[in-house]
Amino acid sequence: MTVPLFTQSASFSELWPTTNRHIIDVLDRGKYSHGHKVVELEAALAAYTGAKHVVGVNSGTDALVLLLRACGLRPGDEVVVPAFSFIASASAVVLAGGRPVFADIEPDGYGLSPASLAAVATERTRFAMPVHLFCQPADMTGVGDAARRLGLTVVEDSAEAIGMRYGGTHAGLLGAGGVLSFFPTKTLGALGDAGAVLTDDPVVAETVAALRHHGRFGPTAGHFPAINTTTGTVGVNSKMDDLQAAVLLAKLGRLEADIERRAALARRYTELLTDAPGVRKLPSVLPRRADVRGVFYVYAVEVERRDELAAHLAARGVGTETYYPIPLHLQPCFADLGHRPGDFPHAEAACRHALALPLYPDLREDDVARVCDEIRDFFRSAEAA
Amino acid sequence: MKIPFFPPDLFEDDRQVLLDVVREVALDPEQRFILGRRTGHFETVIRDAVGAADAVACSSGTSALTLVLRAMGVGPGDEVVVPAYGCAPLAAAPALLGATPVFADVDPATMVVDPVEVEKAVTGRTKVVMPAHVFSVMADMPTLRVIADGAGARLLEDSAVAQGGVLGGRAAGTWGDAGVYSFVQVKTFGMPGEGGMVVTGDPELGRVVRMLRNHGQDGRTRFLHHRIGVNSRFDEIMAAFQLRRLPGLPARLERRARIGEYYTERFTGLPGVVPPPPGRDGRCFYVYSLLAEHRDALHDHLAARGIGSHVYYRSPLPRQAAFRTTGRDWPAAERACSRQLAIPIHPHLTDAQVEHIADEVCRFARS
Repeated sequence: MTVPLFTQSASFSELWPTTNRHIIDVLDRGKYSHGHKVVELEAALAAYTGAKHVVGVNSGTDALVLLLRACGLRPGDEVVVPAFSFIASASAVVLAGGRPVFADIEPDGYGLSPASLAAVATERTRFAMPVHLFCQPADMTGVGDAARRLGLTVVEDSAEAIGMRYGGTHAGLLGAGGVLSFFPTKTLGALGDAGAVLTDDPVVAETVAALRHHGRFGPTAGHFPAINTTTGTVGVNSKMDDLQAAVLLAKLGRLEADIERRAALARRYTELLTDAPGVRKLPSVLPRRADVRGVFYVYAVEVERRDELAAHLAARGVGTETYYPIPLHLQPCFADLGHRPGDFPHAEAACRHALALPLYPDLREDDVARVCDEIRDFFRSAEAA
Repeated sequence: MKIPFFPPDLFEDDRQVLLDVVREVALDPEQRFILGRRTGHFETVIRDAVGAADAVACSSGTSALTLVLRAMGVGPGDEVVVPAYGCAPLAAAPALLGATPVFADVDPATMVVDPVEVEKAVTGRTKVVMPAHVFSVMADMPTLRVIADGAGARLLEDSAVAQGGVLGGRAAGTWGDAGVYSFVQVKTFGMPGEGGMVVTGDPELGRVVRMLRNHGQDGRTRFLHHRIGVNSRFDEIMAAFQLRRLPGLPARLERRARIGEYYTERFTGLPGVVPPPPGRDGRCFYVYSLLAEHRDALHDHLAARGIGSHVYYRSPLPRQAAFRTTGRDWPAAERACSRQLAIPIHPHLTDAQVEHIADEVCRFARS
């Protein structure tokens, strides 16, 4: 019996009647990107998150790039980014014309450290980009306080954070704006690439909407022809497929149930792995200075001999993922920034020890037990040897 | 008889195909939805069909242009020579990378970039020459190749509209150091979603584009990022759909070509209306555009008879706010902007509809 890192086949089959109906609607309307289904999804996501504006785009990465541009990032502006994240948190800054400045994460919770943020910011720094990683939002009180003191605009990489809330506000809406990624493994995942920008600022929303469609201002979504004759600003093509919007609308109907299911599975992991040998740390949603609603998108444990354990599990048919093996400041693409190992010790420790276990609504309780047995087995046999 | 310019029933025959491939990909035990084996197969099939060294699927034709410019090392201080008449990405792609789009005027009859104007636009800073095929006419690629080589610049062929076109025995997209295709629904090989492709005869360029389209990763080691890349990938559902639709492409292209040939035959010698040049060499029948002295009146005449037509670009690129360039005029581009009108050419048109459209254009011209 294998336990894959990810599957959504059972969920897909359950939802197929609804998904099918949405796809038929797309076929009937005959516009397959930037069309009515995308507009419908944007409205549904606005209702779910409480955002005043949701702008659908081609990916979470594009969402970050366009959000930074729409928030007024100028060439050479610095953006503080945590050193432990997916590459897009930092590459988006470069793609938008800015310079990432790395900061360390907190010792717990993987969020941007407010103290490190304050330490690395320079007079050229204009933005802070906290990332809400794995299962909870960053310390938005601490980040917000530091950003205010330093005069920085907060832009959130909330790509993983659908459903997460801080002080009652949905992730992505605590600063100038945030993003969502609908990469298939996400808590709300499509069957291909898709993403969105969330913001309460109408000017940011209008600018992102123009940038995603070749710099054309005005109502374009749902409109034929989608041809640009008056280019107001240098834009890109980052339109969302209506087919993906159809898949997402169907899944949005059971998102809360999926989040509950993920939480239950996470609790089961925690029960079964508490005090297990070799396990250094289990994930938990940290108390903050405001009410926090975490969402278990990823169940990441920190373990000894992480790569050996991953290989052991793979050999026994258990999929895992190493989020993330190399901290951003030590990636080859940022070699010109001149960082060295030791610059951001918490980020580097996370990269050495963190391992994501299978976690998705299709996963069964006995799958969780099986994964935990294999982990205990690995460290037990290691002790015996 | 109502004939919309944009066909409302593009995938009418393939509704079930789309539903089938969604299920197939969603339930595939591999659970891989982006850049999987179907995308790889699709790339191989297109690569071999046009005789390229590599074909790299990505998120759109626009993105394909930007990926190639990035892979060619275009950045601040560089110049890219582009047509003054055409779609925004021609100018936006270099501008996004901090380079300067330098506009060259077009041929007044065919609306593709004029090689003489390109030669005049070349400077010591020219890094790339980027002609585009427009509507149904391919740019003069042999001459542009000579100009690019002479300038020590690379040649990027914007063949986004021209998949299926052939010039002098060479497929559109393979004349440049790289070419691009767009699969957005209205294109000759359109699909129900956004997507594009880079084709190149240069394996190194292909390798770099592959890396750049997926966050600078090398396709072997995940989360190791060699270069600053983007997210410009291709969905497995769309690859599966395109693979199913590919066998029907030659027939759809042939239908377009025959409609185009018929139009040109009917319109040749009409007063006040200039059709594109006849023949098939160097042609791609994506959009059939006329140049009409009384363009807006022709549009209204057709609209009153239920025939949709479309004006593509109402101002030259250097006259648009994002790319404003002063100090000279682009008379041929201006003229195209005031005279161009596209009439329906999609393969679902019946012979009777095509004849009706031609009749009405002729009636207008003769009145």
